Amino acid sequence: MNGFKQIVQSNRVWLCLDCGKCSSVCPITRHVVDCYTSPRLLVETAIGCGEAEVLDDPLLWSCLTCNQCTEICPSLVSFSDFIQNVREAARDQDRSGDCTHGGMIQTWGRMMTDPELKQDRLDWIGSGLKTSEESDTVYFTGCLPYYDAAFEKLDIEGIEIARSALKILNHLGIEPIVLADERCCGHDQFWQGDMAAFRKLGEANLEILKRTGAKRIVTTCPECAWTLKHTYPDTIGDSGMEVLHLAELLAETDLLDNLTINPDTAHKQVTYQDPCRLGRFSGVYQSPRDLIQGLGYELKEMDHNREASLCCGTSCWSSCGQVNKKIQVERLKEAKSSGAELLITACVKCQIHFKCAQNDPVLEEEVQINIRDLTTLIAEQL
Amino acid sequence: MKIQEKGSKIILFTCNWNAYSGLEGAGAEKRSYSASVHPIRLSCLGRITPGIILKAFEQGAKGVYLVGCLEDECRYETGSQQIREIFLETKNLLKLLGYQDNQCQLDFVAAGNGKSFVENIHKFVKGIEELEENL
Repeated sequence: MNGFKQIVQSNRVWLCLDCGKCSSVCPITRHVVDCYTSPRLLVETAIGCGEAEVLDDPLLWSCLTCNQCTEICPSLVSFSDFIQNVREAARDQDRSGDCTHGGMIQTWGRMMTDPELKQDRLDWIGSGLKTSEESDTVYFTGCLPYYDAAFEKLDIEGIEIARSALKILNHLGIEPIVLADERCCGHDQFWQGDMAAFRKLGEANLEILKRTGAKRIVTTCPECAWTLKHTYPDTIGDSGMEVLHLAELLAETDLLDNLTINPDTAHKQVTYQDPCRLGRFSGVYQSPRDLIQGLGYELKEMDHNREASLCCGTSCWSSCGQVNKKIQVERLKEAKSSGAELLITACVKCQIHFKCAQNDPVLEEEVQINIRDLTTLIAEQL
Repeated sequence: MKIQEKGSKIILFTCNWNAYSGLEGAGAEKRSYSASVHPIRLSCLGRITPGIILKAFEQGAKGVYLVGCLEDECRYETGSQQIREIFLETKNLLKLLGYQDNQCQLDFVAAGNGKSFVENIHKFVKGIEELEENL
């Protein structure tokens, strides 16, 4: 276990004591009403108080690790990394975040660490979509089949995103490898500080991926993309493969150049939600916007967009409550006030969290806006 | 080999009301069932979540048997309907995780029917034993 002092030192968070810009943009600070909590205050606690006070700080498990703080930080402090390190240390003391969704998602993640596990996860491919045993491209499905089953009631585009991705890749002449024994990438385990589960998942995935002999991994989940591209090499090992979110791959192709624009979508006003791991983490802002405009939509930006974009309100399933709901409602209202009639995102989790917030019977029309994934919109027009 | 001899566990979740009285009825009538079956009584079976069922499998259970009350006999009116939805969601997740259809089942029993309760348990345990033999 890293001592808290070492965590403070390695993340240079002492710099936060003289600043506080992070606290001015933190969505948790803005919405927590029963006490004051902020990134700077947590750092102050970590430096000036004991471990117990840090472990009890309300920000420790509610932090979205959305990186809005880092984006504005003049000293390039990664507060999200600091939070991840402290959560890892907190795990050693049997502390964890909220048990959201009855622990279902964390549990299936841990079940996937079993090397003997024989999943039955390829049923969704069906007929009409082409995959192959050998290809230079792997399509990493992530937990889409699982989310599809778990959030059926929210009417999310779960497995439809994966089908659409295959349709698009096939359209480009790519018949990717889709792995039958792929595991959860471990993003959520990593950000919850559960390094034991994360390492097992990562090691299993790296072994499977290397065995394919492919050169490139394409995914439709920004969290999988970030984890495979950055977290694995930093903590477990490098697959040696290029990792791309589908939006990044499509930006390099002429897929939309010869597209006949559907009159139903032409000039329809839409807005785009930058997923944290695709936007602030990976710096991919323009490619999804080019694709949206390439489909004939008129893009109306929300007040907070690109680097200043707001998170969908929940991260790594470690908190779900009043504050998260407030963030989701704030963002949905912003989407509506942009004048758009459709909210497009490129991450299934944004869709899950927004659709969940839309279920509130009290809010009704205030937050009602159609939500779609970029991948399924593109596939529809091919 | 009998599942009992292998030390495998089967978790039986029952509703506190009609379903559990079936188990009590079985006890009163001195009807025996496999010692591998570990009953866990809930206030209402509709209170369970997919996470709890998955947790049982994560911790090594070979099967999870859910026994609730008949739909028109639910003490809380909607519990039997809720468990149907929860069960379907869980079955879809378990299928993805590679578990077989008979490793998680849902049944509804009338109050105090010990004979039918034990017969259902025998049937469920037999299904798991057959599965283990074929592995």
